[in-house]
Amino acid sequence: MTATVQMSEAKASASLAVSARGFSKRYGKDTAVNRIDLDIHKGEIYGLIGPDGAGKSSFMKAVAGVLSFEEGTLQVFDTQVDSEASAELIKQRIGFMPQGLGLNMYPDLSVEENIDFFARLRLVPEKELTSRKHRLLGMTRLEAFRDRPMKNLSGGMKQKLGLVCTLIHEPELIILDEPTTGVDPVSRRDFWSILARLLREQGITALVSTAYMDEATRFQRAALMYQGKVLAEGEPDVIGNLAQGTMITIDVDSQADALQTLSRQFEQIEAVGSRLRIWVDEADAMLAEQQLRDALAGFTIQHLECDTPGLEDVFVAKLRQEGNVVADLPAFEAGNNDKTGVAIEAHELSKRFDDFTAVDKISFTVPKGEIFGLLGANGAGKTTAIKMLTGIQLPTRGEGQVAGANMSTAAQLIKQRIGYMSQAFSLYLDLSVSENINLFAGVYGLDSKMRRERSAWIIELADLQGYEKELAGSLPMGLRQRLALGCALVHKPQILFLDEPTSGVDPLGRRRFWEILFNLARVQNVTILATTHYMSEAEHCDHLALMYAGRIVADDTPDNMKAAVTAEAGGLLEVSVDKPIVAVGVLEESQYKGAALFGRQIHLWAPDDQTNRSRITSLLADAGISVLGMQARTLSMEDVFVYRVLQQEQAREKNAA
Amino acid sequence: MTTLRIGMTRMRVMTSKELMQLLRDTVLIIFTIYAFTFDIYWAGSGVSLSLNNAALMVFDGDSSYASRELTSRFREPYFRHVGSLSHSRDTNDVLDKGEAMVTLDIPEGFEQSLLRGEQSTVQMQVDSTNTVLGLLASSYGQQIVGRYGLEVAMKQQGLSADGGISGPILDDRHRVWFNPNQEDSWFMSIAELLTIITVFSMMLPAAAMVREKERGTIEQLLVSPLSAFQVMFSKVLAMTLVIVLLTSISLFLVIGGLFGVPFKGSPWLFLGLSTLYVFTTSGLGLVIATFSRNMAQAGMLIILLIAPMIFLSGAWTPPEAMPTVMRWLMMVSPLHYFIDAGYGVLLKGATFTTLAPQISGMCVLGGLNFALGLWRFRRQFA
Repeated sequence: MTATVQMSEAKASASLAVSARGFSKRYGKDTAVNRIDLDIHKGEIYGLIGPDGAGKSSFMKAVAGVLSFEEGTLQVFDTQVDSEASAELIKQRIGFMPQGLGLNMYPDLSVEENIDFFARLRLVPEKELTSRKHRLLGMTRLEAFRDRPMKNLSGGMKQKLGLVCTLIHEPELIILDEPTTGVDPVSRRDFWSILARLLREQGITALVSTAYMDEATRFQRAALMYQGKVLAEGEPDVIGNLAQGTMITIDVDSQADALQTLSRQFEQIEAVGSRLRIWVDEADAMLAEQQLRDALAGFTIQHLECDTPGLEDVFVAKLRQEGNVVADLPAFEAGNNDKTGVAIEAHELSKRFDDFTAVDKISFTVPKGEIFGLLGANGAGKTTAIKMLTGIQLPTRGEGQVAGANMSTAAQLIKQRIGYMSQAFSLYLDLSVSENINLFAGVYGLDSKMRRERSAWIIELADLQGYEKELAGSLPMGLRQRLALGCALVHKPQILFLDEPTSGVDPLGRRRFWEILFNLARVQNVTILATTHYMSEAEHCDHLALMYAGRIVADDTPDNMKAAVTAEAGGLLEVSVDKPIVAVGVLEESQYKGAALFGRQIHLWAPDDQTNRSRITSLLADAGISVLGMQARTLSMEDVFVYRVLQQEQAREKNAA
Repeated sequence: MTTLRIGMTRMRVMTSKELMQLLRDTVLIIFTIYAFTFDIYWAGSGVSLSLNNAALMVFDGDSSYASRELTSRFREPYFRHVGSLSHSRDTNDVLDKGEAMVTLDIPEGFEQSLLRGEQSTVQMQVDSTNTVLGLLASSYGQQIVGRYGLEVAMKQQGLSADGGISGPILDDRHRVWFNPNQEDSWFMSIAELLTIITVFSMMLPAAAMVREKERGTIEQLLVSPLSAFQVMFSKVLAMTLVIVLLTSISLFLVIGGLFGVPFKGSPWLFLGLSTLYVFTTSGLGLVIATFSRNMAQAGMLIILLIAPMIFLSGAWTPPEAMPTVMRWLMMVSPLHYFIDAGYGVLLKGATFTTLAPQISGMCVLGGLNFALGLWRFRRQFA
């Protein structure tokens, strides 16, 4: 009896790559990881999902043997990691890619020199190095860039090179710390498909962290972490059951009023473009719908749709249920309700740097009070466009009107009328909260009465009561970013420019941020122009412009953009199969475009009709894979983005050839 | 009127922001205070340009009254006996090893020759690695030996009874002005203060500007209605305030207090001149900031600039002793004017009117520096 138990335990541990029990990590008084238990099986992609500060990096570093920990046990393969010496034992079997774009590589060395360096560090025999390098560079499509210095690669390419360097000594376990942070959606998808293929072909185990909740489906199993604890663990569907509820999207007349009415009863509610998304604590869709309709008696509902909630919705619901209450927003004074005028008008704006065109003749118009989103991969020209409109950079050619003044002749007037916030770096971290506010109040020439009034409003807006004397640098990212927003709003600007305002902010913080933006636009009639990397945030915008290589390639409302792509590509089909990792390989080779793995499902571009269904079923059956289900999917903004950008890339390649 | 009020408010909040940021940069503020106090103290008390206790070794091959008399004349504070040599051939050896700086070789029969009225020679060897000290040692040695020789000769000719000299000889009576005891600490501490002022009036504004560039806060200022002049001038103003405050501490506590330098002119005039100088040099710091991406680069550029500025300042070599090209270059080194004016006020008692040429030189250079900084700044960010 005892022997059998021991046998099965031994068997279980043999199939485990990593096993942690009661693992804790502290930095001084701060607990980064608090007694977590995790098992990672050999051959799986295991995800750690959570916002910044959840404790993901600390755990990963400990597994990689580069960080000591205070409590609990950690077993990697068959070695107990409890000392420097034991950590050394496993290092050869592990590949670790730390957080940050290319931070562990040498910017001035070429792609090949970087790989050679890591290989020789790991004592890879020269002969094997040549063949491995050839194979890995081929897989990551970096072959053509062998001689390019690392610093001249795009963000996505840097991450792929990082992956190659991590894999060059053929580790059994690779640990990738936020490999997709700061990488645009196209490169992100590419990265995931390469990773899936590597795992499929080499049978290695991967421990990968991400701050993007929507990437949960990329993992076979995952742990959702928050403040050093595991909130939920298991297959993505299991994590999705963390909180029970229904997500309802409605189209309703007088959106702002409806929002106010609903927020009395429903705590988790957000405005998405012209719609409202409401979480109802009721798993049954029928009952949930009824609850909502009752609450909205008197309003005209144009359209209503029930969804299973996404992981981010679930995560927020869970935190809310655990008592993380978000303070109410301060009152927004109503602006003039003139929605007819034009806030920003760009006419053929171009910016050249030496022989590189960053922005190429872009034209667009933003009406007053609209939330306008500028999307694009790294280097597409979004930031340069914003810099020209805010007067930080002069356009090489073209002209524009901002806040009723001409860009080239009345720059000073424009500056008084706009607010600007960039990537949460726009604060003085060594000044306190109130010092920052007073500084910007002074810079915009507010008198002392005005200054006191606005300070109080900003403190309330950013939910910073009691933090006035704290240094801005000591605040968590979410608070810091709302303080930066407050400082940008100190002089009541007509237009607000936001350059990737939510990078590194957790979902709760991001929600409150967009809630503020919604109120600014709808109540105060402030025009907002924002760039973002989070495609889920793009859905909040009234209007979008998609940039590629300095040009605007699509300019429409989110709905129209989705409709256009659906019309062109026929639609998105979701295929559920029993062997997803193999299946995605088969479908990538087929005539179907855009095959991508999402957990157990595969998405691809195809109209949902009988011909396609039978063709896909037989394709997969030939490879010994059985199809469990197939259904059409509504497009996300990310699907649209990836489709459009790939379309542009293909057109460019065709032109080049 | 409101435009003026808004302009004043902007300058006020920006300047106090710079001061707060500087005060919270613990490392930088400690370094700055150290430089203006301890560093100047070390320089004044430790560095000396005169010959003090030069190590002397003697090979006395004669062991006579005359040889002992000559040897005993090499005395402190200039020379110090550290030992005797038993062989003449050892003299090179101790110089090589650095055991002695000066060796004196007195040959056998030295006294006999003198008594016979014949010419006699002694050999002195000097380690002249440090040219200034080498030169001083050999000329002092020359004087001692020469004077002894003269005395012996006079005595033999019967021109002198008691070793004093009475004859047709020039008696040179010199007067030392401005630093009557020729104390190195006076010269050195002031020279160091002027150098430190130069370094920090470039470094602090450069650090303030580079910090904004590194963190990206500069963009926030650029989209605000602040003008480039307001952004730059507030930094210069704040840093000038700090440096002048520290200069006065250094001047009254260290230079006046510890080293007892009597201020011949008005120390307030000196502080006024320092203000003008810091102002002019900080423009250069801002120019450097526009060329650097981070503080390390700015630091290296400052070191690169500071070395020639000091060489060309006239602190170590007067302009007359320099090649013509260098002399022309000195005209564009702001430190040159400041050194002239600084020593002038503190040691010579110069007044505002006597310093008019230096002051106008500093004004012209400062204006140019600031204009250059402003131009670079506008060019980089527009």
